[in-house]
Amino acid sequence: MTTPHDAALRVRGLTKHYVVHEKEPGLLGSLKSFVNRRSRTVEAVRGVNLDLARGEMVGFLGPNGAGKTTTLKMLSGLLHPTSGEVDVLGFEPRRRHADFLRSITLVMGQKQQLLWDLPALDSFLVNQAIYEIDDADFKRTMREYDEVLDLSGILRKQVRKLSLGERMKCELAAALLHRPRVLFLDEPTIGLDVNMQVRIREFVREYNRREDATVILTSHYMADVTALCERIVVIDAGRVVFDGDLGALVERSSPYKTVKLQLASPASTERLARHGEVVSHDGLGVELNMPRAEVGERAARLLTDLDVADLTVEDPPIETVIGRLFGAERAPEHA
Amino acid sequence: MRAAASLGRKFRAIFSAQLANMVAYRAELIIWMLSGTLSFIMMAIWISQARAAGGEIGGFTEARFASYFTGTWVTGQLLVVWVAWELDVQIRLGNLSPKLLRPLDPLWEHLSNHLGDRLVRAPFIALLACLPLLLVPGAGFTTDPRVYAAYLLVVALGLLIRFLIEYCIGLLCFWTESATSFSEISWLVYAALGGVFAPLQLYPEALRRVARLTPFPYMVNLPATMLAGDAAWGDVGRGVLVLLGWAAALGTLRLVMWRLGLRRYGAVGA
Repeated sequence: MTTPHDAALRVRGLTKHYVVHEKEPGLLGSLKSFVNRRSRTVEAVRGVNLDLARGEMVGFLGPNGAGKTTTLKMLSGLLHPTSGEVDVLGFEPRRRHADFLRSITLVMGQKQQLLWDLPALDSFLVNQAIYEIDDADFKRTMREYDEVLDLSGILRKQVRKLSLGERMKCELAAALLHRPRVLFLDEPTIGLDVNMQVRIREFVREYNRREDATVILTSHYMADVTALCERIVVIDAGRVVFDGDLGALVERSSPYKTVKLQLASPASTERLARHGEVVSHDGLGVELNMPRAEVGERAARLLTDLDVADLTVEDPPIETVIGRLFGAERAPEHA
Repeated sequence: MRAAASLGRKFRAIFSAQLANMVAYRAELIIWMLSGTLSFIMMAIWISQARAAGGEIGGFTEARFASYFTGTWVTGQLLVVWVAWELDVQIRLGNLSPKLLRPLDPLWEHLSNHLGDRLVRAPFIALLACLPLLLVPGAGFTTDPRVYAAYLLVVALGLLIRFLIEYCIGLLCFWTESATSFSEISWLVYAALGGVFAPLQLYPEALRRVARLTPFPYMVNLPATMLAGDAAWGDVGRGVLVLLGWAAALGTLRLVMWRLGLRRYGAVGA
């Protein structure tokens, strides 16, 4: 399998099946399981196809258990696929070639690589040796990361005494010390406060710009995805159900826009309903849904018909869009 | 040559970090050392038996028992290995994942962790070993520096073999729910056939023959006998060769199990 020069990642028909053992709860369940252990095969990833260009940032979305993390683990070489082909920078990840491992990183928001009882700087020095980074490069990288992440005050503190945000900054810097060309970021901002989320996002954006790095990001915080990624891949029940730009996703899953009104004088719900679907009507505050294609025309008519003090037109929140997409994809299976 | 130099640099960096880690845990380490007093209990039992039997059993006097069991304690302290427990946790909980992402076999981190422990442990071992030797009249260790040099070689090989055995046991976690129960059995066999409960010279001939089919007598009984000043150079040379053979075989087994196991790794939770 070959990779074109501008392609960073190519995936074809990727699947992963797990065998899981099942046991009923309680003592009786334990005894039954001891005598007759039952197992079943879970199809975590089912025929995923994906292409990423060098420098591209992609948001990988899906509900819990959709197969996002399993896919990232296969792309980074942690898991061996059941079937399918994976090519990352010309390498087959499962072989864990040293040059491949030097070219990628996987940051897991819920796992740590830093040495718990030592200052974070010790982990950086270990990574410097493992990735064979010379002193000049090491110092330059640390200086750059310090500018964005403000690390200097925390590097000499024991990792276990760092706050979650401080630790995550160190985790991210340690994982990127060797300047990887492909970043797999699995929930990198989980549990962080809003300021720290913004700081991490800025760092990732800056890294992508400087290094022309390819980034796949999973996050439950839609703000991470909307701030960083133009392209979205949505995975559900192990299958890719959408692959395209964020705008197209909103258009496809949400054929209407939300018009928020602040009225100067009251209007009845019946009168408002002539302009669109009334989502809420609380005194002078009104929220209407209007078909996407007719928003301009309807809004103009509404302004002449009603006494409007303020009007804004918005796309529905991305969380709603994604939720609706999952609902739509699952409906035929349940039918 | 360049690869070896590169590995040396990486190992040095990991070793420094692991040594610092062990220094941070020095108090726990001493308590852990004090809990490993089986050799001293066996020493007390055998000395009392020798007294009851008129001063000696099978050529072992009270002083010789004291020297031998102090030797097994020192050797046992130098051969302590917990890698199976670490691998068990890392594989089951997915903590192995961050280590697999680095271009260095996680084995080196585990090994440096154990060697760091030995460096921190060494002064306390020397201090505690003096006590029984001072308390039992006539007991003592050899004063021949050549024996100590050979002892270090034998113990280094013994540690490598114990480490590899426990590593393979830990890797069983790729196939089983937990591997630590295998580790308990492994310790029992190591202690019984190594001569931790009694000098091998006192074992029935049939059991001695079985023991010699394993590496354990050369890992405990031989070095303890060396410290007591009772080992012949011929036995030492034979022991080193046997240990080298076992190290090669177990090293290969570890590599095969590692490669097969990674195919089954579930990277749970991470």
